[in-house]
Amino acid sequence: MWTSVFVSGIVLGSFYTLISLGFALIFGATHTFNLAHGELLVLAGYVAYWLWKAFGLSLLFTFPAAVVVALLLCFVLQRLFSLLSEPRELNSIVVSFGIAILLQNGMLFCFSGDYRLIRVPVLNQGFHLHQIYLSYGQVALLALSLLVIALLYLLMRHTYVGKALRATIQDREAASLAGINVSGMGVVAFGIGAVLIGLAGPLYGCIHYLYPTAGPQATLLAITITIFAGIGRLRGLILGGWVLGLAESATVFLWGASWRELVSTIILLTVLALRPHGILGRDER
Amino acid sequence: MRGTKTTKRRHQELRLADSILLLGFVFLLLLPVLARDSDYVLQVFTHAVLLATLALAWNILGVSGSISLGHAAFFGVGAYGSALLSLNFGFSPWLTVPLGGLVATVVATLMGLICLRLRGAYFALATLAFVEIPKVITDNWDGLTKGSLGLVGLPGFTALRLGRYSVDFGASPAAVYYLVLCSALLLASLVALIFRSNLGLALQAIREEEVAAEAVGVQVQRYRLLSLLVSGFFTGVVGGCYAHLIRYIEPGLVYGIHFSAVPMIFAICGGRFTILGPALAALILYPVDQFIFHPLLPAGHQFLYGAVIIVAVLFMPSGFWGHLRKGQFALLKTRSVE
Repeated sequence: MWTSVFVSGIVLGSFYTLISLGFALIFGATHTFNLAHGELLVLAGYVAYWLWKAFGLSLLFTFPAAVVVALLLCFVLQRLFSLLSEPRELNSIVVSFGIAILLQNGMLFCFSGDYRLIRVPVLNQGFHLHQIYLSYGQVALLALSLLVIALLYLLMRHTYVGKALRATIQDREAASLAGINVSGMGVVAFGIGAVLIGLAGPLYGCIHYLYPTAGPQATLLAITITIFAGIGRLRGLILGGWVLGLAESATVFLWGASWRELVSTIILLTVLALRPHGILGRDER
Repeated sequence: MRGTKTTKRRHQELRLADSILLLGFVFLLLLPVLARDSDYVLQVFTHAVLLATLALAWNILGVSGSISLGHAAFFGVGAYGSALLSLNFGFSPWLTVPLGGLVATVVATLMGLICLRLRGAYFALATLAFVEIPKVITDNWDGLTKGSLGLVGLPGFTALRLGRYSVDFGASPAAVYYLVLCSALLLASLVALIFRSNLGLALQAIREEEVAAEAVGVQVQRYRLLSLLVSGFFTGVVGGCYAHLIRYIEPGLVYGIHFSAVPMIFAICGGRFTILGPALAALILYPVDQFIFHPLLPAGHQFLYGAVIIVAVLFMPSGFWGHLRKGQFALLKTRSVE
């Protein structure tokens, strides 16, 4: 029994990492928190749902549309964030909170408050592997999450843009001294973040019900994993996703699904209690 | 020459602000007469005044520069505390509402222990996450709280008797309105007192320059905790009032992000560092939302709150009331009023 808890925890955790990549990247490069992250994700899911439902598009072809929508919105977000005054971290929270409210109401207007799910029948079938039941959906989720994470890793390690972005995340001043356009890297981070959101959104719509106020829960996951990982650590994000996924599936197994929401809260508050001066390791106000 | 011109303009602006305030106050006092044909109008304004009280309570913490995204925790605990005491022990709401506030203070202490070591953005994120704790516990403690079913049939405020006169809150919406208005005015006066007291001065010093405040002997953490407790208490009291006015509560409603977001939005739009700004923003924005945007856009009318908070943070960080009153009610002579 515990092995299947473990397997579903790892699958869930990998997906959580995928969800939080965009948030972590934007935070790392620009030091702004995007509390509308979950709403963007849910909106990308809605776009995929709408194309799938209304035009009968296969799920695979909805990804480009979701990416385009996420890119447009992240562009607007980036313009708004560039207007922020000090303290930028705190003000970014308040502004993106406002954007989250805008998006929630926009989604309520466009898609109503009904619960939607992208149903792909084949994903619900499954097979047994050494007495562990795996659905094709879980396998696909794990494979796609790991694929995207691997692609991002290659991008960050082996291209100029990726290296410049990592340098910006690690030390803005030094990066700027080395001739990297730091504010340009902020725009790049929003762009890559948007692509990641656009890729994660349709998947989210396959395994979670979509409704206009589903976003905050996903945002909380992204915040928790990002703060757990610390800044600029892709490995930390994967580990954070797995810890959270395993803790959630163990909690659901032991005490029931209604306690699941508490897991990310407790992890986040614990990490913050251990590192009260923020995740950059120094006091920032 | 230029100096006198600006002074003159300043005076006009201040006079404008004063007249707005006076007109608004008279309007609020006369509202039950003006709106005697429409219970709906009175209902909307009762709720607007309740939200104004909530924003005032939020701002007791807000004035120290901390932004809380978790006041729904106090609101919900106050509502549940008061509702359960009145349902299980048959106490009158007049007693249980303040008791609910005390329960909220206990939760505020817990939040203070966990979150107050954090500053700025991290404090805001921690409070946002903190709400889940009382929410999930309330949701799962079926034996006490009936879980996600919520509590129905809560007693309303009982009639008050004073000699031969009696005010029946069950029968008269106007009486309820005046009750809520009175508590809002009481809290506004209290907030004015707090802001001018040592506590208020300390909080503003912490906001302006925490290290300097600490250096001159302000006990930063003690004052921050105190402001969180006072703010939590009054938020809980408003939550209790809400429970006995609506007479139905459920976890998703009273712990919802709405009751964390709304006081923050009103306080920042009105002016976090003013006494009345948060309340005025509530009294303007909520009726605008209900009378103009709700009929136009039944689904999604609350986009208004998102739009105003974005505009306020980006273009008018001192809030509209802070902007109108700049300098006059500066409680401390500060270098810059953010």
